[in-house]
Amino acid sequence: MMLELESLTHRYGTESAVDDVSFGVAEGELVALLGPSGCGKTTVVQAVAGHVRPTAGRVTLRGADVTDAPPESRQVSVVFQQSTLYPHMTVSENVAYGLRARGVESGPRADVVSEYLELVDLSEQRDAYPAELSGGQRQRVELARAVAPEPDVLLLDEPLSALDRSLRERLRGEIARIQQETGVTTLFVTHDQAEAMALADRLVVMDDGSVAGVGEPRTLYESPSTPFVASFLGRSNELSATVVRQEPLTFTVGGQEVVLPDSRADGSIGSAVSCHVRPDDLTLDAGGGLGSDGPSVSLPGTVARVADMGCRYDVTVRLETEEEVIVERTETPPATGESVSVGLLAENLTIFGAGQRDRIGVDVARL
Amino acid sequence: MRAPELLVPAALGGLILVYFALPFVTFLSRTGTATVVAGLSTPEAQVAIRNSLLTAPVSTAIATILGVPLAYVLARTSFPGKRLVEALVILPLIVPPVVGGAMIITAVGRFTPIGSAATAAGIPLTDSLIGIVLAQTFVAAPFVIITARAGFGAVDERLEQASRSLGYGPLETFWNVSLPLARGAILAGISLTFARAIGEFGATMMVAYNPRTMPTRIWVDFITGGIDATVPLALALFAITLVVLAAVQRFGRVPTVIDR
Repeated sequence: MMLELESLTHRYGTESAVDDVSFGVAEGELVALLGPSGCGKTTVVQAVAGHVRPTAGRVTLRGADVTDAPPESRQVSVVFQQSTLYPHMTVSENVAYGLRARGVESGPRADVVSEYLELVDLSEQRDAYPAELSGGQRQRVELARAVAPEPDVLLLDEPLSALDRSLRERLRGEIARIQQETGVTTLFVTHDQAEAMALADRLVVMDDGSVAGVGEPRTLYESPSTPFVASFLGRSNELSATVVRQEPLTFTVGGQEVVLPDSRADGSIGSAVSCHVRPDDLTLDAGGGLGSDGPSVSLPGTVARVADMGCRYDVTVRLETEEEVIVERTETPPATGESVSVGLLAENLTIFGAGQRDRIGVDVARL
Repeated sequence: MRAPELLVPAALGGLILVYFALPFVTFLSRTGTATVVAGLSTPEAQVAIRNSLLTAPVSTAIATILGVPLAYVLARTSFPGKRLVEALVILPLIVPPVVGGAMIITAVGRFTPIGSAATAAGIPLTDSLIGIVLAQTFVAAPFVIITARAGFGAVDERLEQASRSLGYGPLETFWNVSLPLARGAILAGISLTFARAIGEFGATMMVAYNPRTMPTRIWVDFITGGIDATVPLALALFAITLVVLAAVQRFGRVPTVIDR
């Protein structure tokens, strides 16, 4: 592992910011650290960069313990949300800044600066001052300045969050390209799950100071490890259910009995569980009445709201149990107040024990 | 046009401006009656000008060299007792200069342990150029500390963090990033401190009535010759301060005195 965090814990006074966080980033890998604001991501970044000395735990770079090492003795570059370009230096002076510290002679330094300005396609702006650049250009110079000294780890702390949407998506592609061309080990911190899914080789999802899930984006999305991951990674409907049989796991949801074949559950009979299902895994049928080849579960309800999202409709259905679910639909949606039935496949359900953070009936939904 | 809604504040501001300008005009209108050149060529005036030009830059330099690092520490860290330190920085501004001077005498006067030891060593701390510097520094240093502190506070700490992550230690980061970015505020503070130091009267009069500086000489001229006798040195003092401020603004490219 290029970067490894072992039981990283940090408290600001008595306030716990990060609690027992462990994960690693392999050489050349792009890992996204994903979580809502205030979950402790930035504290992790600060500890890796060396701007925060953690209360407990270790940070290792290339196997060497750097927990107490000052930032300048680690080879870790940081790009923040707000530009930290030096306003009193030109673009090329900014990019050269880190090279000068690493003792690169002025001759080769100019070559390296040119190379990295070319990488971010800003060769023509080399003599401009940061104030003369657009927001997107500034972040590209930041990237060039950060990767030019060839750091062991590149930390990107919400680097796109201050930009508008189209620019953000364009720059996201830029980051992917630069990361690929330079092969720099990258920890990308974001609260935007789409950004994280699009960029990362692996995701580390954080919730309230701890790691809620680690895995490849697709795997985590399809079989989330906790209810938090299920709801944070894309959208998720939550339905309460009651276990009626343990083997195969059978439970009632929305007044219907659902059987997960070839599965068993740890939850005792009569215990409450919660089912998570993605809005795009649900179907809508006007009136009800499903054929034999239809979805395995059909829940009757009425349309409460319809939101036009442009590329699709978000139809909110109030079930007979008074629970609401969101169904994604691309065709013309039913009208508000109309009776519909929501269809779902048992295999698309992820079951979590009530009050538990972990999934029960391990991977049953995939069997 | 935003004239209507700015009418009231502009009128109120105009009043204070008139009050600022009026004494200048009335005072300067006496220039014709006074013989400025003759007044400035007396040996007493020459000595006073020389002493002021010797002491004020030294006081300003001391205040800057010791005050700017303090300003940086205050802007960047919090520690137990920080409020006390901040109060101490403002104290010389709150204490009337003449009282400040009296306090300095109780600390380093001729008959105090420090003062007598210094006198014995041949460097008297009162009634000497060093005494003048002590008085000026006490009164004028808070300006550069307070202004520089605001300047450092306005520099995003992440710019310094980025510099550290790019391989520079804390001192190099201060020199390469913090100092240049707070330069405007620091220069503004230096200007204010210099203007205050060269015009310092109250504390200087207590600590070192002799040798005379321009302000103490102006006082002596006033009690012996009245208002008109003060005009030559007053104008010279005004001119020196103006030239120094203009030079700092020019070479420091500071847009206004309080650079925000």
